Amino acid sequence: MKPPRFDYVAPASVAETIEALAGTTEARILAGGQSLVPLMNLRLARPTLLVDVNRVADLAGFETRNGTLRFGAMCRHRFLETDPLVRREAPIVAKTAGMIGHVHIRNRGTLGGSIAHADPVAEFPALLVALGGRVIAGSTGGERAIPAAELFAGPFTTSLEPEELLSAVEVPAHTPGDGGGFAEFARRHGDFATAGVVVILHRDGSGACVRLRAAGCGLGPTPVDLSAAGEFLLGESALSAGAAAELGRRTAALADPPGDVHGSKEYRRELAAVLAADAVRTAWQRAGSTGWGAGD
Amino acid sequence: MSVLAPPEAPPRTGTRTRRREDTRLLCGEGEYLGDVQRPDLKHVAILRSPLAHARIRDVDVSGAMTLPGVIGVFTGAELAVETGEFSHHLPMIPTLRQITWSVLATDKVRFVGEPVAAVVADSRYIAEDALELIEVDYEELPAVSDAEAGLEAEAPLLYEDWGDNVFLYMPGAHGDVEAAFANADGVLQERFTHHRISGLPMEGHGALGEFDPASGRLEMYVSTQVPHTLRTVISDITGLSEARVRVVAPDMGGGFGNKAHFMREEVLVAVLAMRVRHPVVWQQDRTENLLSGLHSREQSHEVEVAYRDDGRVLGLRADFVVDVGSPELYILGCAPAIVTTSVVPNCYDLADYAFEMRCVATNKCPMGGYRGYGQPQGIFLMERVLDLVGERLGIDPVTMRRLNMIPDEPRPYVTATGAVLDTGSFGEQLTELLEAAGYDAACEAREVARSQGRLVGVGIAQMVEPTAPNIHALAGRFGGYEMAMLTVQPDGRVNVAVGTKSQGQGHETIFAKVAAEVLGISPDDVEVTDGDTAALPYGTGTWGSRSAVMGGGAVIKAARQVRDKMAAIAAGMLEAPPDQIETADGFFRLGEAAIPFGQIAAAAYLHTFLLPPGMDPGLSVVVGYDPGNTSPFPDERGKLNVAATYSTAAAAAVVEVTEATGVVTVHDLTIVHDCGTVIDNVILDGQIHGAVAQAVGQTFFEEICYDENGQPQTSTLLDYMIPTFGDAVRPRIVHRETPSELLGGFRGAGEGAIIVTPAVLAAAVHDAVAPLGVAITQSNLSPPRLRALLRGRPAG
Repeated sequence: MKPPRFDYVAPASVAETIEALAGTTEARILAGGQSLVPLMNLRLARPTLLVDVNRVADLAGFETRNGTLRFGAMCRHRFLETDPLVRREAPIVAKTAGMIGHVHIRNRGTLGGSIAHADPVAEFPALLVALGGRVIAGSTGGERAIPAAELFAGPFTTSLEPEELLSAVEVPAHTPGDGGGFAEFARRHGDFATAGVVVILHRDGSGACVRLRAAGCGLGPTPVDLSAAGEFLLGESALSAGAAAELGRRTAALADPPGDVHGSKEYRRELAAVLAADAVRTAWQRAGSTGWGAGD
Repeated sequence: MSVLAPPEAPPRTGTRTRRREDTRLLCGEGEYLGDVQRPDLKHVAILRSPLAHARIRDVDVSGAMTLPGVIGVFTGAELAVETGEFSHHLPMIPTLRQITWSVLATDKVRFVGEPVAAVVADSRYIAEDALELIEVDYEELPAVSDAEAGLEAEAPLLYEDWGDNVFLYMPGAHGDVEAAFANADGVLQERFTHHRISGLPMEGHGALGEFDPASGRLEMYVSTQVPHTLRTVISDITGLSEARVRVVAPDMGGGFGNKAHFMREEVLVAVLAMRVRHPVVWQQDRTENLLSGLHSREQSHEVEVAYRDDGRVLGLRADFVVDVGSPELYILGCAPAIVTTSVVPNCYDLADYAFEMRCVATNKCPMGGYRGYGQPQGIFLMERVLDLVGERLGIDPVTMRRLNMIPDEPRPYVTATGAVLDTGSFGEQLTELLEAAGYDAACEAREVARSQGRLVGVGIAQMVEPTAPNIHALAGRFGGYEMAMLTVQPDGRVNVAVGTKSQGQGHETIFAKVAAEVLGISPDDVEVTDGDTAALPYGTGTWGSRSAVMGGGAVIKAARQVRDKMAAIAAGMLEAPPDQIETADGFFRLGEAAIPFGQIAAAAYLHTFLLPPGMDPGLSVVVGYDPGNTSPFPDERGKLNVAATYSTAAAAAVVEVTEATGVVTVHDLTIVHDCGTVIDNVILDGQIHGAVAQAVGQTFFEEICYDENGQPQTSTLLDYMIPTFGDAVRPRIVHRETPSELLGGFRGAGEGAIIVTPAVLAAAVHDAVAPLGVAITQSNLSPPRLRALLRGRPAG
């Protein structure tokens, strides 16, 4: 369980990083290393060049700009989970970060790394889809934005080009009446979820649900957009237990999850139903309270 | 003679003491295999089969040989020329296929992970690079992925000359089963299944070998529970004299029975060390461990049970089918399954019992020993049978057990399979369990919970465990005695060497206490060495809950001999008969007169003019210890008393099932445990906590999976799930102490909790889901598996 030989560079800037990536098609970005390094040890990932971006200051941090929240790709999960500003401006991001792994993993793991790795059971890719966010990718050819809907191509596969650096993640800023809930099922604390469902909705001044988006992890080869399951809730002012269960049923019907050692297709569908109902209840309640329920 | 005030009394057995090895182990100062360094140490990596079943046409190592840093590349065919073969050494079992195999595969591979070639290189990195340059031409063959498939008429054959895949066929008939069924009011038919798991020691297998051509001596450091018997095997296969082979088992990160077998790779390292003339080391990585370490437990049982309407179980027929994977494992991988068949009567009066067992070779990792060693399955069978018969008859689990229990008299009690039970009262143990668990209150609380729509269940289970086995008929040459060497040094400090091997169980602490109690000194004055063939002639290692019983017995025997000699010296000095000398608190006493322990020691080595006339100097003995009450071979009726003594346990559990997800929450687990005289409560409780954690893992988390082509699906710890700290269940523990007749009164501990817990968890989950009409007849109750049962339940 030792990796094959590879080269290593540690650039100090985005420009240097992009330059390093341009030199070979077999380069991989080393961010938190929580997924890549084990894969290298198993020789399942075989980069010839590791580009360590841990020293690139431009990739850290978080800002709000014109109704958009922009996160540097190197935001660590633990930062997102605990930073007071993130907790206030993007509570669902903070909540989701706290669901990942254990503290030690969150101290290293990064938002951009998780999204670029595109593990179909990871939380952040599903959250990005549910929020309708996008990523910013840079290369020697310039910068482009890739919407979440066009980013995830398959298990561990994105539409990022080999020479592109995922530099930032953008999601719409929240507004009063927004609410998000992420429910997942993991056999053990800190594990990747067997399945998870995130629901993001908006309730207007009258309490009626006017927007609802949902996505799932562990329910397909990529994060799955499950928003269609929730269309029947648009215009509703109350969420009955029956309506939450109905969302669960529709979500299960919409999902086409894989079966593996952690759960059969059928089991994951059953989980999807339970989790969607759970997530929508949380989102609904948070949307009805002030903010996104950041304090709870 | 100086007469001093006695020092404070040393701690006796049965007390709680701090484990003396913990400071070293917990501060990172232990010496595990990975810490053993040698100048010029080279590293071994092993090419393993990617196919479940294939013929090896050709292995081309030329590319690997040219990689800088590679010392040598070896194929099975090449090593087979000068190296001996493994076999099971069991010609006395006529229905066992007699096979031999080599350190590396030669003509065929029979499971994914089977070793095919080995690289020795300057580093493990280079060695693994070289593996990628070896080209193997395989002719892929269809695979047998489970026992049932292996028994089909058209199944592919692992060994063409067998004509089928049945590695071992074993029937057994005790009592008059036909009469039992003829007298029955009813017959229960049921199928029980046990899934495949791994013992998963945190530190995998590994070995370091160093050969000195000048002296012809081989020194091996191996993470093994059985260093002495491994020395015999290494000697056999390498052709080196046992007098020239030393095996040392350093500190170990667990073994759990997985390291009580002789791994091909361990002998391979010896062979490579002799070939390359550098010290070489191989350490199994986690993927190697999961693919090719050892697996355990996978069995299915078809049973028919004859019962009377009053709840009495009259007779039992069982058909055991065991998926042993590749049979190329020494000690025999069928041995746990043979134990399964023998423990089925458990602590119940079941005289009429017949079975057939087929151990089927499949294209999977070899099955072998894991803590519990076939007993969890046998106990599960009988405990489930009692609950299921009781359910039919409307008789509660406690009454079912009392109705069928072995009575308190006589002792010993001989069971259907020949076990000679020397235990305490099962009835009293059960009563103590019900009180400790608050059983009646738990049942009332369950009714309240059920009325609220919650799936809460209460279960009980019992077990009797043959410990300190002498299973010559299974172990292939190696019996179950033990040895110890005890030396009192001139300064009065004591060295003890034992043939058992601690893998973390605290043997340094317990053997020091045992020796110190006999010698009347402080355990702090006793140094314990284990796992070194240079320190003691022989020993059979640690397995079968035997270390306290056999190792402890040997230490007591040795200590008594030395103490008696010292008493004789003291008697001479005090001019009194030796039988009037008392040993206590660091003194040899005659009335008010007392001679310090150290003064006698000095006399034995330094002031030998003080010794009685004719007495030899020195205070050192090597003893062998065999209680002699076991039967190494079955009698003409197949009956066999495998164990020197027997431990018992009873358990109660309260669980709750979440119907939507299949998650089981264990609200309470109580274990009443009787392993005879307790040496150290902290260590014993630790054994029980650890065994419970592993039983929880087996029941709710762990499963080794293969696809239909024999490709493993669980080769990392992302896919093979073990419980983490937060998932462990903390049991309530009650100790009964019914001393055995053996030296020290020990019965053996370490496995009882892992034997009884799967059965009690199944009983409780069964009780929880019974209102839904679902029966629990399988060991695997992971959320997806339990959910599948609930989903598939009969309508209505």
